[in-house]
Amino acid sequence: MVTPQTLGEILEGRGVSRRAFLKYSSYLSALMALPPSMAPAMAQGLAAARRQSVIWLSFQECTGCTESITRSMSPTLESLIFDTISLDYHHTLQAASGEAAEHAREKAMADNKGKYVVVVDGSVPLKDGGLYSTIAGVSNLKMLQDTCKDALAVISVGTCAAFGGIPKANPNPTGAVGIDEIIKDKPVINIPGCPPIPEAMTGSVAYLVAFGKIPELDHLKRPKAFFGDSIHDRCYRRPYYERGEFAEGFDDDGARKGYCLYKVGCKGPVTYNACATLKWNGGVSFPIQSGHGCLGCSEPDFWDQGGFYRPLSTSMPGMGMALAGAAAVGAALGVGAALTARKHQQAYIREQAAKGDEK
Amino acid sequence: MTASPNGREAPTLTGMADAVLSEVAARLADFAASGATAVIELTSMPLTVQDRAALDEKLGRGEVSAEVSAAGRSEVWETAFAGVWFVRHYGEGGRISSESIEITRVPLLLESHPDDARAAARRLAELCAQAQTHTGATPGSDGA
Repeated sequence: MVTPQTLGEILEGRGVSRRAFLKYSSYLSALMALPPSMAPAMAQGLAAARRQSVIWLSFQECTGCTESITRSMSPTLESLIFDTISLDYHHTLQAASGEAAEHAREKAMADNKGKYVVVVDGSVPLKDGGLYSTIAGVSNLKMLQDTCKDALAVISVGTCAAFGGIPKANPNPTGAVGIDEIIKDKPVINIPGCPPIPEAMTGSVAYLVAFGKIPELDHLKRPKAFFGDSIHDRCYRRPYYERGEFAEGFDDDGARKGYCLYKVGCKGPVTYNACATLKWNGGVSFPIQSGHGCLGCSEPDFWDQGGFYRPLSTSMPGMGMALAGAAAVGAALGVGAALTARKHQQAYIREQAAKGDEK
Repeated sequence: MTASPNGREAPTLTGMADAVLSEVAARLADFAASGATAVIELTSMPLTVQDRAALDEKLGRGEVSAEVSAAGRSEVWETAFAGVWFVRHYGEGGRISSESIEITRVPLLLESHPDDARAAARRLAELCAQAQTHTGATPGSDGA
């Protein structure tokens, strides 16, 4: 029997050098705002790690999250993440079906007891005994509980798995809930978004593999590395906001000039995600860059927040007027700084404010 | 300077390039005095196209440049200021996947990793052994 190899040895056999690990780790460190000095340690950790067994469960979902993560695959840098995991069960991607598929899941659970990671996309219906969604005759609730019993950690991918998402939208006919309302005895990482940014998914898994622990999370169990800043904080249209220059409609002069989309309903100020920096489709663009406000898809209950095209100050019934007011008045009221880049940005904002005061 | 109609360009220089330059200057002074290395990540900074151009222009190009082919292409060059290096990684479709400024004698990416050197030593030894086997099997020595 061949001794299980480390990732470094596996990739070495394919002519991949440690420079590739270093490059990938530098990339991830940048994405996750880790101190750059951690990149070499991360590279070492990844090279020394075994492949991580992953069981992917899909419940009440649209498969958009799987579409998103597979779009992070390329023949270059990002594809390394797919070498770091062993995807032992995934309805959509696996070749096996029926009983063979379910056996694959059970075998992975037995072989990697206490060590495998469960990734879930989709919410779980609880109403009427959970009969609204079943797989192989087993309710989502039972399959989730059985599969998570011996898991190392659970990653809820997408807003449906994290917060209930669209299945939970008013009037929530199936009694849908997010995963962390059911699984209480395992670490749960939420990677929300509709869909989530591929790098937020792959980066969190790579962090887990390299360091053997979950990344730092916020109060909604989201990795701070990707969800630590609001879209607004990192938006390239922010200078227009500071100057009070807004598009009033999607076809007016302000829209043509690329002004801030706050007044046409952008939820950027209260939405925490990395779209403004990581962007989409291989870094091409993100909604605001394409002329549409942020929908707030990585926040709980984003579907029920009073309308995508209503300004924050008139919508968001659950947000409270204090937050909406702060967003309306602007950065002078303060949205906490977190990262080095933010310090630069805020210094500039202060400088501009001081210049304004002098006038 | 105004934005393009679709908002693809940020409106103006934001001051970020000068802020980064100040940080580089401080780190370089530290490095010159004590040998303390530093890395400044640029990837997640909201640098506009104009900011980036301004930073490139001010740092300039020095004597050394290299291209690394490992999981895609990377470019490494020393700026006009000795000890200040630019490391830029490219991803799919030639887009920049990450970039940083390193203040050091030589960026880690350019060094050979000990594990790679060990693997290379094994491969080269095998190559030599094969060559010797081949030499030993020449007609002149056959059956001697």
